[in-house]
Amino acid sequence: MPNLWKRLHKLKALLDVRIGTGAATLPSAATATKEFPAITRLHLTYARKIYGGHQGARHFWRNCLPRLKYHNPAIPMTVKQTTDQEGPATLTIYFSENLSRTASANAINVTDQHAPTPSGTEKTTVINLKNLTYTDIWHNLKALTGAEEVSPTVAEQAELKKVEEMQLKAVADRKRVADIRQAKKDQEKMLEQARGEVAKLRQS
Amino acid sequence: MSSIKSLMPSGARTMLSICRPPLRQGSMAAPLFGYQQVRGKASASQQKTKKFKEKGKVEKKKKGPKNYDQIDLSQMMQFSLCDAMRYIRAFEAGRSPEATKYEVHIRLKSKRDGPVIRNMIRFPHSVQTESRICVICPPNSRIAKEALAAGAVLVGEEEVFEAVKNGRIEFDRCLCHPDSVDAMNKAGMGRILGPRGLMPNAKMGTIVEDVASRVEDLRGGTVYRERDAVVRLAIGQLAFSPEQLRDNLRTVVDQVKKDASAITDKFTKEVYEVVLSSTHGPGLSLTGDFTSDSSPDPAVLTGA
Repeated sequence: MPNLWKRLHKLKALLDVRIGTGAATLPSAATATKEFPAITRLHLTYARKIYGGHQGARHFWRNCLPRLKYHNPAIPMTVKQTTDQEGPATLTIYFSENLSRTASANAINVTDQHAPTPSGTEKTTVINLKNLTYTDIWHNLKALTGAEEVSPTVAEQAELKKVEEMQLKAVADRKRVADIRQAKKDQEKMLEQARGEVAKLRQS
Repeated sequence: MSSIKSLMPSGARTMLSICRPPLRQGSMAAPLFGYQQVRGKASASQQKTKKFKEKGKVEKKKKGPKNYDQIDLSQMMQFSLCDAMRYIRAFEAGRSPEATKYEVHIRLKSKRDGPVIRNMIRFPHSVQTESRICVICPPNSRIAKEALAAGAVLVGEEEVFEAVKNGRIEFDRCLCHPDSVDAMNKAGMGRILGPRGLMPNAKMGTIVEDVASRVEDLRGGTVYRERDAVVRLAIGQLAFSPEQLRDNLRTVVDQVKKDASAITDKFTKEVYEVVLSSTHGPGLSLTGDFTSDSSPDPAVLTGA
């Protein structure tokens, strides 16, 4: 097993899952309002490669979906990665009974054949993700569902600050170590050259 | 695959075999209950020659640490099972709930030499999606019937050889009855099955008299062993509920404890740390509690 510090350093990823773009609670049965009904499911479909405008969707899965899943453990989230670059890149949102007011205004006629069929009472709306960045996708999703962002606590802010400081220090350290290595290389090169000259002198 | 392997340095080759799908790894299953392999112990003859060579020389042997390092767990972040599952499920968001597995890494307090833990386990909730087993034995015999009854998918001699030669290898493990070994060797199965790690072999425990019971073991069992004082194995699918995972985890930890205590008292081993991880997720050290104050309702931690 790797040593303790390596493992603890890896666990900084946990902070990244708790806060950041997409760290928000979606309305559940307990917090649903008339304007924003509860969300029962999310489904994302996009193609494997980034060309054709699939980059944002893929980044959304990488960056935002873990955060959403962490803050909404009860909501099933599924992803379908297709091989069809021409195909759609969509996010399907499942509302428990009615669409939210913003979602009913959003009507677009894209359907996702990979998305699970909604149950009797569920209503769905689809966002076309082509050529959107993942932050755009997140803002769209937030507007449609009325998600409430989770702001970092005091302890988390302190931890974030520490991580930032570490990153800054890493830049300085990288420079320092690179200089040391370069100096060592220069030294060796110089010695090599000197040896070469001695050999030449002997030959002549 | 074989051609790629032969081009690689030996280190890379072992890496490859590690990367093989988990089902195949199980084919190493050997009837090793109670048998302990001793690590780092040179055979008697080797030791003798060494001593003879070094006679007269006053050379101090460099000795490494006797025990594996133990980290100070008070500095480690630890989680209850449900909290750890919540994080792992977040990291695995959008992955297939069947193919993605929860893994457990059991850290042992152990000496660097001495016997290692190696055993087989049956889970209360099956981790693997069904593994298909082929049995090579005289067709239409009593053995063949028993093997079929135990759940083998392909049984026989000639028909198996035909299928394999035509490239239809529709099984994950292969067993052989001692009566059919000659027929199998004559048919040149080694060339095809060998590189895939499917060739029956007495050392691996895949050439056995009692085929039927072996088939049953292989279908439900997972093999695990200790490497560098850590036992690692997959203990559940991502879709499992916390209760299912807890049952499997308990079974594993109990059995590893039992294995550890079964080792002779010259070498003591004990469980030191239990880490829950997953196919793509980080490793989270467990406290041993089921829930904590801040953990979500266990009922929601299932499915996709």
